Amino acid sequence: MVDDDPSIVAVISDILAAEGHEVVAAENGQEALAKANGEALVLLDMRMPVLDGWGFARRFRASGKRSPIVVMTAAENASRWAAEIGADGYLAKPFEIDALIAAVERHATKPH
Amino acid sequence: MSAIELVSVLTELIFVLVFLLVAWSAVRRRTRTSIDIALFFGAIAAFIVESRVVTTLGLEQVELVNDVVTILVIAMPYLLLRLVDDFSTVPFVANRLAEAGLLFSAIAFLATVGQPPTSIVLVIVVYFAALATYCAVKFIRAARRSSGVTRRRLEAVAAATLLLGLTILVAGLSPVVPAAAGALDGLVQILALGSAIAYFVGFAPPPILRRAWQEPELRAFLRRAASLPRLPDTPSIVGALQDGAGSTLGARATIGLYDRETNKLRFQDPHGVLPNEIGPSEYLVWRAFETQGAAYYADAARANPGLAPAYRAHGVRSLLIAPISAATERLGALEAYTDHQPVFSEDDLDLVRLLADQAAVILESRSLIDEAARVRAHEQAARLKEDFISAAAHDLKTPLTTLVAQAQFLERRAVTEPSAPPDIAGIRRIVLEARRLSALVVELLDSARLEQGKLVGEREPVDLVELARDITGRETYQGRRITLSADAPVVGSYDPRRIEQALENLVENAVKYSPEASEVRIAIMKRDGLARIDVTDEGIGIPSADLAQIFERFHRGTNVDDRRFAGMGLGLFICKGIVEQHGGRISVDSRVGTGSTFHVVLPLGDTA
Repeated sequence: MVDDDPSIVAVISDILAAEGHEVVAAENGQEALAKANGEALVLLDMRMPVLDGWGFARRFRASGKRSPIVVMTAAENASRWAAEIGADGYLAKPFEIDALIAAVERHATKPH
Repeated sequence: MSAIELVSVLTELIFVLVFLLVAWSAVRRRTRTSIDIALFFGAIAAFIVESRVVTTLGLEQVELVNDVVTILVIAMPYLLLRLVDDFSTVPFVANRLAEAGLLFSAIAFLATVGQPPTSIVLVIVVYFAALATYCAVKFIRAARRSSGVTRRRLEAVAAATLLLGLTILVAGLSPVVPAAAGALDGLVQILALGSAIAYFVGFAPPPILRRAWQEPELRAFLRRAASLPRLPDTPSIVGALQDGAGSTLGARATIGLYDRETNKLRFQDPHGVLPNEIGPSEYLVWRAFETQGAAYYADAARANPGLAPAYRAHGVRSLLIAPISAATERLGALEAYTDHQPVFSEDDLDLVRLLADQAAVILESRSLIDEAARVRAHEQAARLKEDFISAAAHDLKTPLTTLVAQAQFLERRAVTEPSAPPDIAGIRRIVLEARRLSALVVELLDSARLEQGKLVGEREPVDLVELARDITGRETYQGRRITLSADAPVVGSYDPRRIEQALENLVENAVKYSPEASEVRIAIMKRDGLARIDVTDEGIGIPSADLAQIFERFHRGTNVDDRRFAGMGLGLFICKGIVEQHGGRISVDSRVGTGSTFHVVLPLGDTA
């Protein structure tokens, strides 16, 4: 999960860990690119310092990575931004934890 | 025919032509001036025609005709003086002297039989020349006072008059110096020709010449015209238009703008006769405005007898008026006026129409510029508001995301694992984010309160130096190099909470927009009975284009990457509000890439 807000990163990591997922956190797009390693899903904030969501998605796809991306943003136009980067889904902040869990279940690549 | 004879005939023809032209104009428009001009040239023409008729037909001179013509010739200088009086003001003494001279010469001529004695002729010649020179000087003075066509016409008339004086002087001298008579006679012819041409140019200039004369002023006016709509406000534009029209016409000009709501013409600089506002009335300017037709009045007093005394008292004699209209839109009226009659003519109507049209174009573009600025300002305000709403929404939703998710997660765990130890980290997160949210809400409320001017409350003595030391010592700023320079306490009467908020905001910004390794300097001092606070950083700086608006609501520097720096653009707006509601001022010096210094000046207030 990529987000510059440490509180959000912490709570979502806790929630997904409790669901049995392994979470790797990055605070911006650049850090996320460096850490990317065949994840089942990328949870992506859009407005971030250093490298934002748009920049991350472009470079992530350009490097041939296929992991699904779910955009999480507090901006009004979450769906448009998700469409702009060709994301698989989006979560508009603030979201219910059920919505988060459902989005992860739905979009994450299932292990073969 | 010799050359001298040719010159002589030409001179005579020109004088007669001028007479015909001015006589025609006097018939069309009977004013004192036009009649005076016609009389003056009538005298010259009568003399020329009489002597031509006598010499060419070889007739015996008819005594009576000869006497009348002689009297007319003798009256010429006097007529000239009357003419000067029309353009300028001739003192009482000069008028009486001229009359006495006229009487003396008339008696001297009529009393003597045959050729009068040389001494008398000389006296009369000197009287002629002196009067002509005096008139020439008066015409030159009148020319100096005016501009444009009028100036050039008066200059021509002055030259003509001077040449006429010389002609008479030289002609009068030739019988006295018989040896040089031949040469002097040639000189007389040439001087007379010069005088004739100059009079023609001055009193009956052909349209081509008039246009050529108008050109420099008109050209200067048109050149300036393009920049006029950009002047700071409508009064300056109207002032510039009045000056331009005035100098082009060689007169004074005033513009009345039409106010649709009151149905009145409003004058910025009315001449003495005009009130500031004119509604439907007998005023000539209103008539021209209402009929939307340009008008020329050689004598305003005669055209509008009701106001005759006022016109005379304020030196308004000839008037040129043209409506200022853009298509069907009636914008106002241009009025040009002078205190002397013959300055304008019908030909000037075209010019005043042209000037009025130009004024219409300029005023119309001005109102378009104003309209565009209004629309832009409106759009800008709307965009700022929209930006603000989405920024506020974003900033409020971020802590809410943690709050909602964390609270739900805690709830779920409490239900599924009732015996598990409390999630202290999760609970702390809720507290932290709740505080953050509350700070944002307070900021929003502050800005709303500021709008109502209710931000600053009870005041009490506050030491700004101590306050700054307290702020910079906070945990948030650990690891940042913040230096505080102050020699002594600076105590003033302030709302302690608000002044802290303002100072904290400046320090927070300095830290937020500068690299971690850089220094932030705070200087606090008392000078000239005022408290001065400078907060300097070595940060990203503020682009000069943003400086003017940096304290405005929702405005953030264009070089602030809002994905990197959270904020609603309210901090400095609130900061400025706090400072100003304390009676102080805030300003900033900044260079992009070098850093910024915010200067706060606060009155110390009553701290006794």
